[in-house]
Amino acid sequence: MASIDIREFKVTSPTKNGLNRRSFLAATGAFGAASMAFPHMAISQDGRVLTVRSYSDLQLLDPAFRLSLPEDDIIREIYAPLIEPVAGDEWDWRPVAVSSIEQIDDTTINFTLLEGMQFSDDYGEVTAEDVKFSIERIADPANESPYAGDWAALDSVEVTGTHTGTIKLKNAFVPLWSTTLPTPASCIVSKKAVEGAGGKLGTEPVAQFGRYMLTEWVPKQRTVLKRNPDWPGEPGQFDEIHIIPIEDPATAERGFEAGDLDYTWTSVSSLPRLKENPPVGSVVLEKPSLAYVWLGINQDNEALQDPRIRRAIQHAIDREIVVDAAYFGAASVGNGIVAPGLPGSRDSVTYDYDPDKARALLAEAGAEGLSVTLDILNQTERLTAAQVIQANLADVGITCEIKQNDSGTFWSLGSKEGDYFMDLQLVLSRFSMQPDPSWATVWFTPEQVGVWNWERFNSAEYKALHDEGLVTSDPAERDRIYKEMQRLMDESGSYVFLTHEVIGAIHKDDVEPGLKPNGESLFAQFKPA
Amino acid sequence: MLNYAVKRLGLSIAIVSLAMFLLFCMIYLVPGDPASVALGPRATDAMKEALRVKMGLDQPIWVQFWNFFSGAWTGDLGEEVLSGRPVLDVVFEQLPYTLILIAGGITWSVALGIPLGCWAAINRGSFADRLVGILSVAVIAVPSFVVAIYALLIFAVTLQWLPAIGAGEPGDIGDQLVHLILPSLAVGLGWVGYIARMVRASMLEVLEASHIRTARAFGLPDRTITYRYALTIAILPTITLLGVGIGQMLSSAVFAEIVFARPGVGKLVYDAILTRNFPVVTGAVLVTTVIFVLLNLVADLIVGALDPRVRSSF
Repeated sequence: MASIDIREFKVTSPTKNGLNRRSFLAATGAFGAASMAFPHMAISQDGRVLTVRSYSDLQLLDPAFRLSLPEDDIIREIYAPLIEPVAGDEWDWRPVAVSSIEQIDDTTINFTLLEGMQFSDDYGEVTAEDVKFSIERIADPANESPYAGDWAALDSVEVTGTHTGTIKLKNAFVPLWSTTLPTPASCIVSKKAVEGAGGKLGTEPVAQFGRYMLTEWVPKQRTVLKRNPDWPGEPGQFDEIHIIPIEDPATAERGFEAGDLDYTWTSVSSLPRLKENPPVGSVVLEKPSLAYVWLGINQDNEALQDPRIRRAIQHAIDREIVVDAAYFGAASVGNGIVAPGLPGSRDSVTYDYDPDKARALLAEAGAEGLSVTLDILNQTERLTAAQVIQANLADVGITCEIKQNDSGTFWSLGSKEGDYFMDLQLVLSRFSMQPDPSWATVWFTPEQVGVWNWERFNSAEYKALHDEGLVTSDPAERDRIYKEMQRLMDESGSYVFLTHEVIGAIHKDDVEPGLKPNGESLFAQFKPA
Repeated sequence: MLNYAVKRLGLSIAIVSLAMFLLFCMIYLVPGDPASVALGPRATDAMKEALRVKMGLDQPIWVQFWNFFSGAWTGDLGEEVLSGRPVLDVVFEQLPYTLILIAGGITWSVALGIPLGCWAAINRGSFADRLVGILSVAVIAVPSFVVAIYALLIFAVTLQWLPAIGAGEPGDIGDQLVHLILPSLAVGLGWVGYIARMVRASMLEVLEASHIRTARAFGLPDRTITYRYALTIAILPTITLLGVGIGQMLSSAVFAEIVFARPGVGKLVYDAILTRNFPVVTGAVLVTTVIFVLLNLVADLIVGALDPRVRSSF
């Protein structure tokens, strides 16, 4: 059986060029006749190469220390997880590196690995010992993995055979099947290879074994995955996947329209235009997002400590107009932090748009003529939303100054380690989540005050409910818990929930994309149409 | 000449040192915690603190500056924050893309600017001269990012003649050159105008010179007089102009690299600033500053070697 030698992996620079006759002719044609119609070649050929965009280049290929979603996409393919989400409109999972996996009781999960999975570089067969190592290294506090929380309930992984083992939990942990196992937190790495690399993997993959193998990385230009012919399970549908890092969605859209990409996410604001006039031979998709966007109000700021003032701001904002203006009608109003379709998702908030009530509350609090600042990230949608909020606030007598920040500055604004967190007044924020409500609520607990809880919302009742939600398996009870938590957030006056956005994507009609319900990619589930 | 060269070299070192010091001051003043930005929302306080120590951010600014410069003299620009890769490697991976882009921009500007300038000078006062004048101002006035976007929309999206993104297939020079056409046009188009105007002005001055009149009196063909005797002298100020132009093209390269999703130092620095990856910022800026200063030094030395008046006035 053919195999891919990991020694094929290369980091390529443009200095390693070869000049052949075809190249020379192409070069001559390019410069000698720039004005001529020079038909350019798309990378995709015969439907065997899939070219997709990621929003950032890879930085670390270690499941325990990965930094961004594009790395998750690559890691999932080269270090197979136990299970992964199923492409489609419903949240579900399917086995990848296991032939079976079963929850015996609240704290016991038995698994059996596929046989015949071989690590590259002569690291041998994938065994249950590698699974134990991969999971426990994430959970071990000594390793300081940012993903230790995914395995917070882990007691141990017991190896019961070469290919069999048991995951033992300390307590019931409901999000296990939705936000831990189907993520790179269950990806398997070679114990021997990682220990040989000093305990951490960098940008050069070692001991790959998944459906695809990373064979080339040209920093800032592309990453190439090749189908692993030795994979014993369902193979990937494309021979190669080329991943092009493009931060700017508008650039990616132009690249798609020029035929250089098979699939890309789009900006939400481009969706109406693309839906109305899709490029020839393409399909535009709109998927519900797990993100949540809200206007936060710092309740510890001196000018905003009075709850009546915060409630006034809630009533002053016309959420529908804000969302319509910012997203050109592509997104609808959201009513909390838990996305539609998940337990705890709400149909309404406890405050309505009522400028008269806002004025009355301000008068009652003696806060007429209030001036506030609104910090935002310097993105088009945020600025438009902020300008509408500014107009809404002006209507009730509040002067609002918009402060735009680059991402580096913005993401430190509310940090207790900085010097601005008490001066922060209003802030327009957007977080995303995994398909479990606990992933949304965790950022607003008292421990997160000054970390990611920039509103400084401090509720012991909220924290107790959050902890209860993690161990409650009854869907109806979970629904009640998470709705109650969002009601407490409403009541604090510190939140104006705006939208869950939507995810826009576009693909060529000869490609059937494999996407999670929220539009995130699952490369191995892309198929030629 | 040696004295002149030594003085220019000393000035170049001072310029690089000052530029880097100013950069360090700016980095120090920029808000945002590099450790929080780099490690993301799930990092613990201990992890952030460890990264700050690793990056040397717990040290006073003058210690950071000294560490950076003492390392730079030995070719050690530090390590990238998260991957631990040497910054020098990271910068030199991207540098060829930017240098090729600028070389492409210069090619456009020289290949179009010099003939246009000559043509305008030879046809002084004619419609052709006025047309070149108007076109020169027009292309100077249009920002490079506007050229980039429209070139992309017309030639890549609408006509689909040229690729829109990337730098071409590694190892395939032809494909890389095809991917270079639009970005280099965006970078170089403005300089077509500058060079055309500069060449025209210089040519008009030289064409009035006594040795050109003598050549005409001897009955030499106009083509020989123009290209052999006039242009070789008129081109000298253009060399200095190009030295300065490379600095501006480096700035334009940032936009071209973003619009065309091309790798390069400009995009590397842009991304590194957003993620507060300061070792990469300082390393990349040092390398590009040194290149810019060196190119200017070479341009000055060439002009100094060709024109003794320049040497004596320094």
